[in-house]
Amino acid sequence: MKKTEFLETLEDILQREEPCNETDILDDYEEWDSLSQMAIMAYYKKNFGISVTLNDLNNLKSVSDLIKLAGDNISD
Amino acid sequence: MAVSQFKHVKISGISVVVPEKEINIYDEVQYYNNSIKKIDRMRKMVGFWKRRVADDTTTPADLAFNAAQNLIKEMNIDKSTIDALVFVVQQPDVMSPSTAYFLHDKLGFQQSCIATDINQGCAGWVFGLHMVSQMIESGTYKKVLLLNGDTPSVGIDPSNRNEAPIFGDGGCATLVEYSKDKIDSYYNIDTVGSGFEAIISPFSGVRFRLDWTNNDALTTLSKLTKEKITMPTGKVVPLMGGYMDGIAVFDFTINYVPENIKTVLKYAGLTPEDIPVLCLHQANKQIVQSVGEGAGFAKEKVPYTAFENYGNNTMCSIPTTIACLDKGIKKDKLCCCGYGNGLIAASTILNLEDTYISDVNTFVKPDYVKTRDEYIDYWRKKIKGEI
Repeated sequence: MKKTEFLETLEDILQREEPCNETDILDDYEEWDSLSQMAIMAYYKKNFGISVTLNDLNNLKSVSDLIKLAGDNISD
Repeated sequence: MAVSQFKHVKISGISVVVPEKEINIYDEVQYYNNSIKKIDRMRKMVGFWKRRVADDTTTPADLAFNAAQNLIKEMNIDKSTIDALVFVVQQPDVMSPSTAYFLHDKLGFQQSCIATDINQGCAGWVFGLHMVSQMIESGTYKKVLLLNGDTPSVGIDPSNRNEAPIFGDGGCATLVEYSKDKIDSYYNIDTVGSGFEAIISPFSGVRFRLDWTNNDALTTLSKLTKEKITMPTGKVVPLMGGYMDGIAVFDFTINYVPENIKTVLKYAGLTPEDIPVLCLHQANKQIVQSVGEGAGFAKEKVPYTAFENYGNNTMCSIPTTIACLDKGIKKDKLCCCGYGNGLIAASTILNLEDTYISDVNTFVKPDYVKTRDEYIDYWRKKIKGEI
């Protein structure tokens, strides 16, 4: 998956009305709550086969970190 | 063995009741900073919308009783032919004896009909069917009435937005009987005892022992009921409430439950393509969709309308989902999966093609129901020997 495509998907997962950028800080998003985190967990599991834990997500700072968590599944 | 097959067990009828009182999340905008947008987001992501809630004089047994009354009437069941009553409940009327004995009396069943409770939560309908199927397939019992009831919404503070918008209440009656003709059903039940504390009411039983013979109970309770705890998420909750490790449960649900479903399908020699509908426990829309996708089902085969319209009524949510299905849908290979406190994942494939399935009925309170004060007064008089 391309990075731009992921950013659009993230916007949809979070149900955000503003676009998501790589440099955005997750904690700055009003929508970065447990609902969104669960949705991310489900999305990573289904689409990338990666089991993400809450701990993993809580240790992330930026959208860029979230992209790194997907490894080779997201490319430039 | 986790997987099992039954060949002569027929589910003859299913009837569900839900309380009359409906709460719509759009009428609770005060809890969302008066933002309809926030509610729209919740509605879209997790399916929060409407839920049916019981008043605080209604118990799970009352809901189950009314569902049983309806089923007996609608199917014209001869009560003398029922030889077992199994009540699945996690909030019994009393700790002892089984509330099933109370229901046995109120329903007017014969002495030869056995009665017992089974303590199960969200997987309670599938688990109950599994136990009842064994009773029938063994040849000992011919006709069993399986009852389910739960009132998870009662006692939740409406400002508790973690729990209040999720839960609805319900009761269900299912008639299960021996069939001379072959009729297949398959089950797969996985138990994860290490998840015992993942969804739990820690202060509801005798592990939390209170000495009622002196003031210890009062002193302890008055102290502990006021105690508030801050969770890692920053949310402040009462110590004495129920506990749920939401993320651990979600993790169990998306990682284990789909595998449980896949195993029962494989055991029955079926694929998701052979199954017209996957009726999942209605935890919430997000979980239902994730489990369905994880098990390999197309989105349109995994309904969540019962959650949107009635809330998560725990063990009644699968029969509620079945009652909400379009009449035209073929039900010869219906796959159902209940999952929840235990932890447990319980999948089944059922043939409901010839099953009587009632519409979701509105609960009518039985005339025996007492308020708490009337109940206390009843027991005061009873102990005095006045009644």
